[in-house]
Amino acid sequence: MNKMNANRTEPLLVSYLHSKGAKLKLPISGTFELTARCNFNCPMCYVHMNQNEIHATQRRELTTEEWIQLAKEAKDRGMFFALLTGGEPFLRRDFFEIYSAMKSMGLMISINTNGSLLQGDIRRQLLENPPFRVNLSLYGGCAQTYRNMCGQDVFEQVTENIKALKTAGVDVRLNLSITPYNRQDLEKIFKISQELGVHVKGTGYMYPPARRNGDRSGCENRMSPEEAASSSLEWDLLRFEREEFVRRAEKVKNLMKFETDRCAVEPDSGIACRAGSSSFWITWDGRMLPCGMMPKPEAFPLEIGFDAAWNLILMKTKEIRMPAECAGCEKKSVCGVCAAMCIAETGRFDRVPTYMCRMTDETIRLTNLICQKWGDKNNSREDV
Amino acid sequence: MELKKEFLKREVAGESFLVPIGKTIYDSNGLYLLTELGAFIWDRLPEARDSQDILQAVLAEYEVDENIARADVDEFLDKLRDMGIL
Repeated sequence: MNKMNANRTEPLLVSYLHSKGAKLKLPISGTFELTARCNFNCPMCYVHMNQNEIHATQRRELTTEEWIQLAKEAKDRGMFFALLTGGEPFLRRDFFEIYSAMKSMGLMISINTNGSLLQGDIRRQLLENPPFRVNLSLYGGCAQTYRNMCGQDVFEQVTENIKALKTAGVDVRLNLSITPYNRQDLEKIFKISQELGVHVKGTGYMYPPARRNGDRSGCENRMSPEEAASSSLEWDLLRFEREEFVRRAEKVKNLMKFETDRCAVEPDSGIACRAGSSSFWITWDGRMLPCGMMPKPEAFPLEIGFDAAWNLILMKTKEIRMPAECAGCEKKSVCGVCAAMCIAETGRFDRVPTYMCRMTDETIRLTNLICQKWGDKNNSREDV
Repeated sequence: MELKKEFLKREVAGESFLVPIGKTIYDSNGLYLLTELGAFIWDRLPEARDSQDILQAVLAEYEVDENIARADVDEFLDKLRDMGIL
């Protein structure tokens, strides 16, 4: 199989635009969560609600006009990239009305979808006016896994839809959330991605559904930190050549000597990513957040206007402080902890998410074990 | 000059980009960033009959040697042709 030798990264120009946007306080990219509804029922989902649950919140989805107006105001303020997501965005009957209006504004539009509805009239309309990119979540490598995890028998339909979009020339990327329900399918999923010629971004880390369940119930639907680390490495072993895996492991090797409980405390730090700096997220019920994985800080663009809401998010995001322990941690280059993880795991931005500490320690331990086996015995990949 | 694909020019953070609209499929090799001269030429394509019109517009706007201007205009238009835009 054709494996990867290097990470596929976004164009440098995108990073440059975001840097410039952050300096100029421009919302370069925005996520529009068009609906919380979904035709799947994945247990680990952070947003999915059925009609009754939505009704119980006493909140409502934004109208066609409200989404278009928000997009226009965001574009006028400097938005260039827009991500349409859900729930499943294609469940909205007015999806193409919103999408076409936004596209004609000159926005580079990506769509997050589970891929199960991209046939018939939806496919036809999409290919008549194609997006910048389709990010499709692939939940498994066979029909059985789809039935178990998503509650839908649509595996064949989804793979057919991916093929159709690819054939039409649309840029399709696959997202893979590795969970207890599909971790046995990694090899199949990798094979499918190779056959389809589609890049897959896999992750073993699942956020607790903090936005959906404030009490963090639902955490049982994800793997333990140790299992998440092992699954992520399993995925890396599939997608990388051994040389690339070893190259990436270099930075991990030096970290073995550090003990988990010896966190060096440094002055706490602010958010380092684009959330609330050059990007925003608007939830299905019209709340603006720096990032969709954070339940706060929030602003209400429908009430105060996009500009005022963005200014508020910029200001409140700057006030966020992450844990001092994380700022001083030698393992942070492997851990990749972020503000959203802190608040989703602990309810606070400045509290250490110990799930990440355990996942990082296991990643370091297993990576060294793998490299040691390869180095010591010159074993083949299959022996690891 | 007639364009074969639909694009919209957008100014973002002080930079000019071409954004595919309508049926045009995005080429995932990169974003279309226009230089200042590229943006100037792009704006004049709909009215221009040929590259000579573009060249005259460039010479009227910039203090530049004609041969250099011609080479720059040709290079930009060739690029658009390579991308199937012109």
